[in-house]
Amino acid sequence: MTVCVVGVGNALRGDDAVGLEVARLLSGTLPEGVHVVECEGEPVSLLSAWEGCDAAFVVDATESGREPGAVRRLSAHDGPLPPELQRSSTHLLGVAEAVELARALGRLPERTIVYGIEGGSFDTGAPMSDEVQAAAAEVAASICRELRGRD
Amino acid sequence: MSSTRTIRTDYLARVEGEGGMLVRMRGDEVVDVRLKIYEPPRFFEAFLRGRQFTEAPDITARICGICPVAYQMSSCLAMESLAGAEVDGRLRALRRLLYCGEWIESHTLHVFMLHAPDFLGVPSAVELAKLDPALVETALRLKKIGNEVMRVVGGREVHPINVRVGGWYKTPSRADLEALVPDLEWAKEASQTAVRVTAGLDFPELEQDYEFVALDADGEYPIDRGGRLVSSRGLDFPISEFYDHIVEEHVEHSNALHARLRERGAYLVGPMARYALHRELLSPDALASAGEVGLEPVVRNPFRSIVVRAVELVHACDEALRLIAEYEEPPAPSIEVVPQAGWGHGASEAPRGVLYHRYRLDGDGVILDAKIVPPTSQNQKMIEEDLFAFVRGHADLAEDELRLRCEQAIRNYDPCISCATHFLTLDIERE
Repeated sequence: MTVCVVGVGNALRGDDAVGLEVARLLSGTLPEGVHVVECEGEPVSLLSAWEGCDAAFVVDATESGREPGAVRRLSAHDGPLPPELQRSSTHLLGVAEAVELARALGRLPERTIVYGIEGGSFDTGAPMSDEVQAAAAEVAASICRELRGRD
Repeated sequence: MSSTRTIRTDYLARVEGEGGMLVRMRGDEVVDVRLKIYEPPRFFEAFLRGRQFTEAPDITARICGICPVAYQMSSCLAMESLAGAEVDGRLRALRRLLYCGEWIESHTLHVFMLHAPDFLGVPSAVELAKLDPALVETALRLKKIGNEVMRVVGGREVHPINVRVGGWYKTPSRADLEALVPDLEWAKEASQTAVRVTAGLDFPELEQDYEFVALDADGEYPIDRGGRLVSSRGLDFPISEFYDHIVEEHVEHSNALHARLRERGAYLVGPMARYALHRELLSPDALASAGEVGLEPVVRNPFRSIVVRAVELVHACDEALRLIAEYEEPPAPSIEVVPQAGWGHGASEAPRGVLYHRYRLDGDGVILDAKIVPPTSQNQKMIEEDLFAFVRGHADLAEDELRLRCEQAIRNYDPCISCATHFLTLDIERE
């Protein structure tokens, strides 16, 4: 069983760093066969990150108007991801589009779980907010539990 | 009484950065065209002031995630020219190789993922993947190969960390580079196929009388450097005279400065300009690809720029393969660059066209003033002129079709709004 955990984000834009933070929290703590990837570039690189994996966990920040730190867990196989994961302005594609691209190309891992953590501030140079930092720890723990459940 | 029509796109998709477009028409007459760049100013030139000259490549690389190498090269060249140092030979060959990686990655992204959907009648790369999965798989692999060249030479796929004024922190081994060869050979064949595929697309009609401007690189197809700027109407001047010939001005509807030739107005930089001015310097196989599909020596239909980009993809693969075949590890990764007070100028050919940097340093190497002129700001005025001409010739098109074609006309330039603001929404108003 090959699994990858991908944290998506921009370390220099406040709460947008939360996906990377989850990847950092999990790095070195997971069983063999699970690789952790930080994705700071375009999410289309998700396709190569999870190549050959049976399962993938993807963590990204969302901007939907919910409370900062609010967590959503979605299975990519339930259908297209919601608009808050389609943040494709200056990147080529957001996570949602990368998932759809993979689906169209038959390159979506058998199990693809996406965690969306609501961010409050995406200002350049801002630190991550306390609520979002706490949510990162919560999501890291959830992913650990999900992976243990598979052992 | 004639009626007013407004065609607007508030947010233009498949371009880098945030911008929009407004076309105002009275009956079938075009009254006004504005490319609106509302991505906020980024103040890079201001926060370079007070920094050491050695910091410029890493700071300016952050202007763009698609063409960071262009920023690194132009800034290094400016600092080195001021110091009277020249990075040449094997160190320079590595720079050109890194730049080829960026051309492969950037041109692939634009040709296949951003521009091809316009010609194939789909709204996005995701829909294109459903229509033609093999095409998108090819694009993903090509892009990955460009990224891999950047990782091996530059230390990282985006915003390389191995570039410094004077050369490199660490040079790759011959074996590191030779490992790239099989992928680059595949990439070359895929690029040759891309020339045939793009040449077979349907192109909207538009012929423009462009003044093409590109670097002259002393007998080489210009990529990583060039000491002079030349144009199709006889301009030929050293890059240090950039502002003697080119004026940058603020326009109310754009956060990016508009550049124009002091004497004549709008001009065009980028693949079509390089191809028009330096076609004979392409690799024999790139030239053969252009010949095979009957690409004219000077392309004046901007919609056909997608074919020129594909030809440049073949050239970039050939150049990368040649540079790797000739590579020997240099004795030292960099040369010493001792800063001097004065003005330094550097220019290279970013995938989208000429990128000019000018710096003023004090005797300690502290940056006192910085000017960065990216290709998209130079092309803005020409994009507006293309739109004006296109809408005038196609005013009878239905609103949705006209909007789509106008957006496509903007994407002809692969505009990088993030770079240009210091841009896309489309509005067409009919009176």
